[in-house]
Amino acid sequence: MASELSGRAAIVGLGYSKLERRSPRPLAHFAREAAEAAVADAGLTIDDIDGLGTIPNIAAYGNTGDLEGIDIVTVPNMVRMLGREHGIRWHVQTPGLCPDTIMAAAAAVASGACTYALVWRAVNVPKGRYSDFSMAQARGEHQFRAPYGFTMPAAWQSVALRKYMHDHGSTREDMAAFVVQNRENTQLNPKAYWCGTPLTVEDYLEAPMVADPFCLYDCDIPVDGCVAVLLASAERARDLRQPPAYITGYAQTTWPTRGGFTDSENMWEGGAAMGEKLWESAGLGPADIDVAMLYDGFSIFLYVWLEALRFVGRGEAASYIASGATALDGELPLNTSGCSLGEGRLHGMAQISEAVLQVTGRAEARQIKGATHAVATVGAGTLASGGLIFSREARA
Amino acid sequence: MSGRDAAITKPVPVPDELTAPFWDAANRGVLAIQHCTACERYVHPPEAVCPDCQASELAFREVSGRARVYTHTVVRDNVTQGFAADEPYVIGIIELVEQERLVLVANVVGVAPEDVRIGMPLRVTFERLTDEIALPQFTPDEGD
Ligand SMILES: [Zn+2]
Repeated sequence: MASELSGRAAIVGLGYSKLERRSPRPLAHFAREAAEAAVADAGLTIDDIDGLGTIPNIAAYGNTGDLEGIDIVTVPNMVRMLGREHGIRWHVQTPGLCPDTIMAAAAAVASGACTYALVWRAVNVPKGRYSDFSMAQARGEHQFRAPYGFTMPAAWQSVALRKYMHDHGSTREDMAAFVVQNRENTQLNPKAYWCGTPLTVEDYLEAPMVADPFCLYDCDIPVDGCVAVLLASAERARDLRQPPAYITGYAQTTWPTRGGFTDSENMWEGGAAMGEKLWESAGLGPADIDVAMLYDGFSIFLYVWLEALRFVGRGEAASYIASGATALDGELPLNTSGCSLGEGRLHGMAQISEAVLQVTGRAEARQIKGATHAVATVGAGTLASGGLIFSREARA
Repeated sequence: MSGRDAAITKPVPVPDELTAPFWDAANRGVLAIQHCTACERYVHPPEAVCPDCQASELAFREVSGRARVYTHTVVRDNVTQGFAADEPYVIGIIELVEQERLVLVANVVGVAPEDVRIGMPLRVTFERLTDEIALPQFTPDEGD
């Protein structure tokens, strides 16, 4: 039984800023660029926008900044930049990850709280050392990690890959197969930071280790940039410039990270629990999905989501990818745009945008013929993770 | 005063209402883990309510200090203040023998990083940071 919200809202516009690294431009400029592009994509004007939503937190851990307009772009800032002080009827800011915000916006346009809701995610490359933890005291959740030098997200997730390799007999060569295939997809995506920079298996295997067994290419590529999407009700969506990507399924995780990214099994358990809610909300299952955009802030998440969503059994993801099944011409094309590892660290918006482009036939050289249903997941299965299913038709 | 202005030391845990018994015990050279009096399961890090049975009666219980490597990573280019001299260092996810998946974070010390293996038997040891704080750490257990 699908959710009552299934098929009642759609993404009708998509906008990207340029993706750069260590840009001298303030992040606010990237956000406005993406917002204006999303509105224009739908054939609308800024004066049509009466709903706003964002994720106003930095996308890093440690002592990075949170200066308005430089490190974050909040709703009040966007209101001013768009000159919409009198026109906004609904807005929301959700800390965490973008599926929460998109789901809130979908409910807002479906219920009539607003007509057109703009959701953006603006992220930057923090100044100084990435994930720098320079605090003399470790309070709260930090007290059982930071005193041991366990403060880097790459380290938190690298322990999951080591356990996976041990438990399921996968190898770094298996992961190289995925990362290289992903970089090939990236070459077909002109928006992507790594477009124009191919990668070989040897490049992967010889890359510097960040947190063994994670090397540089197991981590996404931080960028300065913003992606914005515009949502409307299904009724409105039919009359706009672009074909709508109907939101037919959605789910949020309810799984805490017990122990703070220590027991990686939590990611599979949380992802699986979220996955069942996702399939139920759409009245669909893994066999109905034509193309998958699974979160890849770190490479291990691909294994988590392929298995948690039941595309393959537990421990089978590495060999499934190595078999070619997830290539553009495979049975389950995966992360066709290169997503976070190839396009840039947009904290899930790369997944959302490519899923939208695939089901609306707008993915250009990467287009999967006849793509009807696309799934996008964001997060590690725990914490703020969420998933969305986008469909070509409102009724799944 | 910010941490950047102080001498560069490793981050020191700040005990709170939930975690003080853990750190008090560690300071006495004892590894004590929160334990649910209702369902008899251990909980770490400490919680206000048992995540397994939702009871709110939780106490701390001394454990054996015996453990094994659940998984680990080796950090060669650290981003935590005070760790530069330790590189490369091993961060272990340590599974205590008392309960499956009862894990905590610690450095695996007294062994070369390349010799650490999943499943390796360990025992607790303590690293003194300040007069009030000693960190539980783990080292290969060659006994028995
Ligand atoms: Zn209990």
